[in-house]
Amino acid sequence: MKLEINNISKSYGSVNVLENINIFSDKKECIGIIGPNGAGKSTLFKIISGIIKQDNGLVEFNKKNINNYSVEQRSRLGISQSFQKNSLFLEMTVKESLMLASSHKYKISFNLFKPLIANNLIIKNAIKIAKDIGLEDYLEVKSEFLAYGLQRQLELGIAIACSPKLLLLDEPTAGMSPAETKDIIKLIKKLSKDYSIIIVEHDMEVIYNLANNIYVLDRGRLVFEGSPSAVKKSKLVQKIYLGI
Amino acid sequence: MLLIQFLNALQFSMTLFLLAVGLTIIFGLMKIVNLAHGSLYMIGAYVGLSIWSYCDSFWLAFIFAPLVTALVGAFLYFVLFRHIQNADPMRQVLLTFGLIYIGLDSVRMIWGTMSHSISAPDVLSNSIILISEPYPSYRLFVIFVGFFVLICLYFILEKTIIGAKVRASVDDPETAKLLKINTDKILFYTFSLGCGLAGLAGITVAPILGVEPGMDMEVLVLTLIVVVVGGPGSLKGALIGALLIGFVDSFGKVYMPQLAQIIIYAVMALTLLFRPDGLYKR
Amino acid sequence: MRAVNYNPKLRLQIMIILVSLLVIFNIFGGYFTRFFIAEIAILSIFAISLDFIASRGGMVSLGHAMFLGIGAYSTAILSINYGIPPFYTTFLSIIIGLLIALFIGYFIVLLDGIFFIMVTLALGEMFHAWVFTSELLGGSDGIPGIMRPSLTFIGFDLNEPLIFSFYSIFWLIIAYYFIAKITDAPLGRNLDAIRQNTSRVSAIGGYTKAYKAIAFSISAGIASLAGSLYVQLNGFISPELTHWTVSGEGLIMIIVGGIGSVSGAILGASVVHIIQHELSNIISWWMFIIGFGFILVVLFMQDGLWGLIERIKKKFG
Repeated sequence: MKLEINNISKSYGSVNVLENINIFSDKKECIGIIGPNGAGKSTLFKIISGIIKQDNGLVEFNKKNINNYSVEQRSRLGISQSFQKNSLFLEMTVKESLMLASSHKYKISFNLFKPLIANNLIIKNAIKIAKDIGLEDYLEVKSEFLAYGLQRQLELGIAIACSPKLLLLDEPTAGMSPAETKDIIKLIKKLSKDYSIIIVEHDMEVIYNLANNIYVLDRGRLVFEGSPSAVKKSKLVQKIYLGI
Repeated sequence: MLLIQFLNALQFSMTLFLLAVGLTIIFGLMKIVNLAHGSLYMIGAYVGLSIWSYCDSFWLAFIFAPLVTALVGAFLYFVLFRHIQNADPMRQVLLTFGLIYIGLDSVRMIWGTMSHSISAPDVLSNSIILISEPYPSYRLFVIFVGFFVLICLYFILEKTIIGAKVRASVDDPETAKLLKINTDKILFYTFSLGCGLAGLAGITVAPILGVEPGMDMEVLVLTLIVVVVGGPGSLKGALIGALLIGFVDSFGKVYMPQLAQIIIYAVMALTLLFRPDGLYKR
Repeated sequence: MRAVNYNPKLRLQIMIILVSLLVIFNIFGGYFTRFFIAEIAILSIFAISLDFIASRGGMVSLGHAMFLGIGAYSTAILSINYGIPPFYTTFLSIIIGLLIALFIGYFIVLLDGIFFIMVTLALGEMFHAWVFTSELLGGSDGIPGIMRPSLTFIGFDLNEPLIFSFYSIFWLIIAYYFIAKITDAPLGRNLDAIRQNTSRVSAIGGYTKAYKAIAFSISAGIASLAGSLYVQLNGFISPELTHWTVSGEGLIMIIVGGIGSVSGAILGASVVHIIQHELSNIISWWMFIIGFGFILVVLFMQDGLWGLIERIKKKFG
C-alpha cells in the first residue's frame, strides 16, 4: 500500500492548478490533505483516483506506474474512493449495495449461475461491513430513504466493501451536522486501523483528529508537511487560512 | 456540373441546418431531445400547404406556417414540457416519442394520407444562369434562408442582451436565476423558437420535397445524426454538422450511390469513437 | 431512469399466471386466437429483450427492430438460400444477432442514455432503408416461402396453429428463464447498478463497458430469436418488420408493463398488442390514442402495470 505522487502538475489553460506536488503514503497511516478553497485539493484527489489525468508527473502505487490506469483499473488494484457528493445506488437497500460492492472483491461478477442474493459468502461480508459502518439496523432499508448522515456512512461502506488496500476519502464530513461529524470521525478512526487512508478535507478539526501526517496545499503548491501538532503550531498555515 | 452539385449539397445542408439548429437549441437549453421535432417540421409543411391552398400565396404560407408551428410548440410547452422539466431526462425523451404518434395521426386525420405538393412562388420559379448553367432560383432561396437564420441567430446569441441571458441560462441556470434572469420565460421563448424553426424548415423545403405523412421520420434521423456529430447545444456544431453530413450525403449519392447511406453512418460512428460529445461542445 | 422494485418472487408469479393464460387460450381458442397467441408470445420475447437492456445497463434502444430483422432475414436466407433446416436456422440467427450486436456495442454502449437513443434510432432507420432497397433481401417485396421447423420426428407438426403457438410459448419460457437467471446473477445486479450510477460501478472496479456490451449482445440475440419465430409464424418477411414503429411499440410495451420486471414485459406486450388490435379494428386514429395513452403512462404510472399489481398486492396482502 505504498502510494507515491511525484512532481504532479496540472494546469487549465494558463492557470496552474497544481505545481510539483509530492506525496508519500506508506503502511497503515492516515494522510490528510488540507488547504483553503481553490488550493487544488479536489484536482489532486481526482488525479490520484484516476478521474482526471495530470499534465506532468508520476503516480505510483506499490512501485507500479499507474498514470494510464483508468478509475476501474485503479480500483481493481486496490485503490478505493468515496465521493464528496453521495454516489449511491438509491434503489438498492443497504444490504444489496454492500453485496454488490463485495461481488467485485470476490471476483464473481461474470458468474451467471448463482443468484447474488443467495451467495452466502457475500451476504456475510455485507453484514460484517454494515456492522463496521454502524448500519446493521438498516440492512433492508433502501438507500434513498436513509438520512443524510447514514447515507454518508453507506458511502464509506461501499468504498470499503471491495476490500481496498488504500482508501481515498473526499471530504467525508461534507454537509454534516456536528453530531454526525463526530460519528464519522469515530468510524474513520476505526477504519484507519485496517486500511491506509488519504483524506482530503476542509474541516481542520477532522484532520487533526484522524491524520498522522498532513500535507498543506495553497494555490496549487505544497507549502507544509507535518504532524497535526506541527501544523497547529505553524504560523505559515495560520497565515494561509486566516489571511493574517 | 460541379457547381450544380455543390449548390445542391449546400441547399441540402442548409435544410439540415434549419432542422438541426432548432433541435440543438432545445437540447442545449432544456436537455431534452425532442424526438417530435420531425413532427413539427411536418406540421409546418402541412399548415403551409393549407395556407397556400386557401390564400393562393406562398409568401403568406412562408410567414405564417412557422408562426403556427411556434404556437404549437408554445402549447406543448405549457401543457407538457414545463411540468416535466425536472423529471428524469429519459422520461422526457419518451414523452416526446409519444408525441410523434399523436402528431402523425393528427396530420392524417386533418389532411388525409395523400401526398401533396406546393409550387414555388412565381418570382422564384425560374432558373438563374450561373457560369452558363441554369440553376433553380428557389434552391438558391433555400440556401439564402438558411444563411439568414444562421446570421440572425448568431447575432442574437452573441451580440444582444437577450442572447447573453439565453447563454447564461444554458451554462448555469442557478446562477442565472440569482441574477434575476427569468429562466422560465427564456425557456418558453427559446423552445417556441426551436419549434418555429422546424416549421420554417418544413415550409421552406415543401416546394422541393413535397408534403406527405412519413416526412417526419425521414428527416428526424438525419437531423439527429447532424446534432450528434455537431455536438448538441452548439450553434456552430449544428452548422458544421449540417455541412458535413449534407455534403457527404449529396456527393456520396452522386459518386458512390451504393455506399452513400453507409458513409453517413460511418461518419457518425467515427465521431462517436473519437469525439463522443460531438465536434463542438456548447 | 427508475425501474420497478427488485422482486423475483412476484416476477415469477406473474409470469406463471400469464403463461398459463396463454396456454389456456391456445387450447380453447380458434384458428385466429391461436395465431394471436403466437404473436403475443413472440412479441413478449422481443419486449423482454428490450426490457433487459433498458433496466440492466440503462440503454434504451429505439432501433431494436433491427435485430428482429436480423433474426428474420437470417432465418429466411439460411433456410431458403442455404437449405439449412428451419429448426437450426433459429439458433444460427440468435448467434448472428449476438455477434453483430457485439460489434455495434463496442462503439455505442458507453454513450450517454440520450445519445444512445438517438444513435440506435439512426441505426434502426439505416437498417430499414437498407433492407427496403436491397435486392439480396427481396427489397420491398420481402421474402416468401419460409418453412416452419419440422419436429415430426417427435410427433409435433408445427404447421398446426395449436402446436406452433405452444412452440412459441416454449421459447418464451426459455427466454424468460434465461433473462431472469442473468438478472439475479452478479452480472445482472451489476448491470442494474450501472443503470443507477455508472460512475460508482467504475469506482468499485466493475467492468462497465464489458458488462454493457454483453447485455446488449444478449438482448440482440433474444430479439433475433423473436424475429426468427415471427417469420416462421407468418411464412414470409416483409421489410415493414424493421420499421421504427415496431421498435416504438416495443418501447411502449415495456413501459406499460413496467421497466425492469421481466414478466412485466410479457404483460405489457399482451396488453398493448390486444389494445392495438382491437382499436385498429374500430377506429382509424388508433395511433393517436396509443401515443396519448403512452404519454399518460410515462407521466403517471412510472412503474407500469407491474407496479400497479405490486401496490394492489401490498394493500390486500
